[in-house]
Amino acid sequence: MNSTLAILAVLDGISYAALVFLVSVGLSLIFGVLRVVNVAHGSLYAFGAYLAATLSLRVAPVSPWLTYPALLLASIVIGAVCGGVIERFLLRPLYGRDDVLQLLITFAAFMIMDNLQRMIWGVQPIFAADPLKLLPNVTVFGVTYTSYQVILLPAVALATLFGLRYFLRRTLSGAVILAVTEDREAATAIGIDARRVYFVTFIIGASLAALGGALASPTTSLVPGMGADMIVLSFAVAATAGLGQIEGTALTALLIGLTRAFVIYLHPEFEVLVPYLLMVLVLLVRPLGLFGAVQVRKI
Amino acid sequence: MTPMLRFENVNVAIADAPVLRNVSFSLAPGVSAALVGRNGAGKTTTARTIMGFTKAIGTVRLGGEDLGRVAPHRRPSLGLGYAPEDRRLFSAFSVEENILLPGRVAKLRPEEMRRRLERAYSVLPELKELAKRPAGSVSGGQGKMVALGRALMLGTKLLILDEPFQGLAPVLAQRYAEALRRLRSQDSEITLLITESNPKLLETFVDVTLTIERGEIEDTSSH
Repeated sequence: MNSTLAILAVLDGISYAALVFLVSVGLSLIFGVLRVVNVAHGSLYAFGAYLAATLSLRVAPVSPWLTYPALLLASIVIGAVCGGVIERFLLRPLYGRDDVLQLLITFAAFMIMDNLQRMIWGVQPIFAADPLKLLPNVTVFGVTYTSYQVILLPAVALATLFGLRYFLRRTLSGAVILAVTEDREAATAIGIDARRVYFVTFIIGASLAALGGALASPTTSLVPGMGADMIVLSFAVAATAGLGQIEGTALTALLIGLTRAFVIYLHPEFEVLVPYLLMVLVLLVRPLGLFGAVQVRKI
Repeated sequence: MTPMLRFENVNVAIADAPVLRNVSFSLAPGVSAALVGRNGAGKTTTARTIMGFTKAIGTVRLGGEDLGRVAPHRRPSLGLGYAPEDRRLFSAFSVEENILLPGRVAKLRPEEMRRRLERAYSVLPELKELAKRPAGSVSGGQGKMVALGRALMLGTKLLILDEPFQGLAPVLAQRYAEALRRLRSQDSEITLLITESNPKLLETFVDVTLTIERGEIEDTSSH
């Protein structure tokens, strides 16, 4: 591989990693705080994508620039409504009971949402690329990229990473989440409403999944099954990093994104295999993931 | 006078096994009480029941208010401070952040929070030196002091200290006891409930000793 191809692979990898990070970090945040592996996370991603595309197609005739607020609005609506309903009515009755029940209930939510998605948006592919077309293209070594993919997506991922870090380390709400993550009972004993923390955290995690879907929507055709693909991939990233590790998830998303991009250039037939092969290799050596720790629950 | 703490026929079962059986007692405001008993007698369950961490049948009142009607996370704002047996500090924060967090959660005014922090430091001067240390890096004994300091932030009426001397080296146990004496001398109105396996450790300090055995209060003696 020459240096030109290497640079192109890096650009592809960063763009892909940015989207994967947004979805995986939501999954990891929810697990870090609630100790729930949210299988419905993939559906939240798909719902975010479909609602963003629907809103974009509606507002684009008025002004194409309105498609950007539409992407954000779709993320917040899906995160708050779907995330809120899942946490409040499906997960909350199961806290303190067998972990398998939580896994099963989120799997059930995933199945229901998958069918709802087909009922609402049908099975025909939907494409809403207006946000992508608004930003100028960038040409690198004769290859044209949209700045949406190589600048905007990585910028949003970085802003999310540093925003989450700031929120958790520097604000009272973040401190409260960290306290509940570490010890729910001790947190309650100092006046923290752990149930509310779970609710808010789940909505934040769900909104991140929906944001990933919304930002992906201009770059791809929306088809049934996209949620299933994403939950498997984001779980691989989160598990490779160590569930509950935010910074680790960012680095792992980058590692998987770059490895996948290089494999596409060198041996494209192995593309699908890369994230899972990396996960298996890492977990064989470090069962808690690259950045996982036994002692303290982290987010 | 309304008791500060009152248990009325309280029963608690864990996994269908009775742990507290018809527990009834009351503590007047300003007393220092020891709840003594062997391991498994029900001391920690009594403390956790006051905080709302068990499913209790019966009535627990704080200053006449039925705690059964108060959600567990709202109880600290009634003036209830709790230092659990295994200290349970938040390792993501420094020692001082641990002490201040209950005040921040309760949205105390900054000057009130500062006043309560100074109160904690005056009771436990050694915490001032540890203030900036990560809470996860302090020793077990120091951690018990931090847990007491944290409980003092909101514990203005009733302070529950669960087995504070357990596992402490003699010198640290002595320092902890001195801290409790300083607290008592500074604040004659606060009620203290201290659980302990070894009654001799507290006999010169407390006004009332409640003895619990197999989930029942067997004896109440005043000193």
